[in-house]
Amino acid sequence: MDDNLGLFARLRERDINAFEVLYDRYHRLVFGIAHRMLGEPAAAEDLVQSVFLKLWSTPDVFRAGNFGAWISRVTRNQALDILRSKAMRAIDEMPADIPSEGTVDEVVFARIDGARVRDALRALPDDQRIPIELGFFGGITHEQIAEQLNVPLGTIKTRIRSGLRRLREGMQAQVLR
Amino acid sequence: MSTGPLHSDEMLELVAVYALGALPPDDARAVSEHIVLCDECRAEYRALRPVADVLGYAAEERVDDVRSARMKSGLMRRVQPGAPPRAATERRPPARRAPLWPAYLVAAAAIVIALINIMATVDLRAELASSRDRIAQLEAQNESGLRAEARDREMIADLVATDSKKFAVPGGEVISRDGRLYMTMDKLPVPPAGHVYQAWTLARGAKAVAPSVTFVPNKTGVAVVALPESANDVVAVAVSIEPTGGSQQPTTKPLFVRPLE
Repeated sequence: MDDNLGLFARLRERDINAFEVLYDRYHRLVFGIAHRMLGEPAAAEDLVQSVFLKLWSTPDVFRAGNFGAWISRVTRNQALDILRSKAMRAIDEMPADIPSEGTVDEVVFARIDGARVRDALRALPDDQRIPIELGFFGGITHEQIAEQLNVPLGTIKTRIRSGLRRLREGMQAQVLR
Repeated sequence: MSTGPLHSDEMLELVAVYALGALPPDDARAVSEHIVLCDECRAEYRALRPVADVLGYAAEERVDDVRSARMKSGLMRRVQPGAPPRAATERRPPARRAPLWPAYLVAAAAIVIALINIMATVDLRAELASSRDRIAQLEAQNESGLRAEARDREMIADLVATDSKKFAVPGGEVISRDGRLYMTMDKLPVPPAGHVYQAWTLARGAKAVAPSVTFVPNKTGVAVVALPESANDVVAVAVSIEPTGGSQQPTTKPLFVRPLE
């Protein structure tokens, strides 16, 4: 959102109203990811508290870019840590950002929203969508995905790449339509 | 920066899985180091990472009003500890009743209730203390993870930024940006047993190099190292092989000495 930068400037000044606006704007996203990954509403509530408390106590951890994407990743990483504490997780943290170069990306990913992502995911064939959802929300490795779906590892890697590329095209088409 | 070899689809597929966050730690580390050095894989990562980043949006859900209010009030109480508590629910005073039990039974019941209360309080206090410890522990882990993530984000952004300064060295580059200093090395041989690589920095006006970090390359010979010294104060960087634990002065001939000005 365009005014997020202003909100963050205020948040760094310990403006509680700015914090509240960010919470109102993003708590559904954080709760949704946490709920989808952890499967328990109570655990998801705890995670929402944890993510936003951290944002309040160290607002400098977010510097620039797409805040929605950033807080999604933070939520996913924290959910993965909880899953890891329940069963050994073989996933590393999601990789750090490399800034996008093209203006198309900036436009597309700043305007994307839940409905558009869901539409783009629904448009994927199941054999691409399912490995991507298992990898992102299930917190398991591509090897575990292959095992779970009983599909060769090489096929899973191909499907994940093809699916992500197709999602990218789908999201671009929706936003730039 | 090295253009790197042309890749099979297999390598680009690994980059896609990495962008999704579904690689095991060792593979993820190897791919992340490779991406820094390879233009083709970096382009693939740049194309797919934003897609993976917004996948979480698909899970966004409407939170019912009761839950939403509960989460928000709990959060705001914690970020505003001085805020006045919410108005307590009005309680109606209990109606007076005539005593039905003899006085000694009332006294005995009161003692039993008091004992139960004491036991329950002790249990609750222990549980509360345990919960607080756990919360503190989780918050510490969380803080440490976020700091590491912020450092990683900063480092990768610095390494690929077009405005960073790059100084070629044998097998890699020394890179500086906004006072931060890094080395990226490729095809470094494994150091002899009991030895590591050590970086050295020469401060402006100094007559001798000072010891910096020690490091070893990964199994593919790649090392990406953040030097703790400020690039604004350093006029040269060197690397030598030293005994494990590092040295105070170079004990072998440096692999290179690279002036930064």
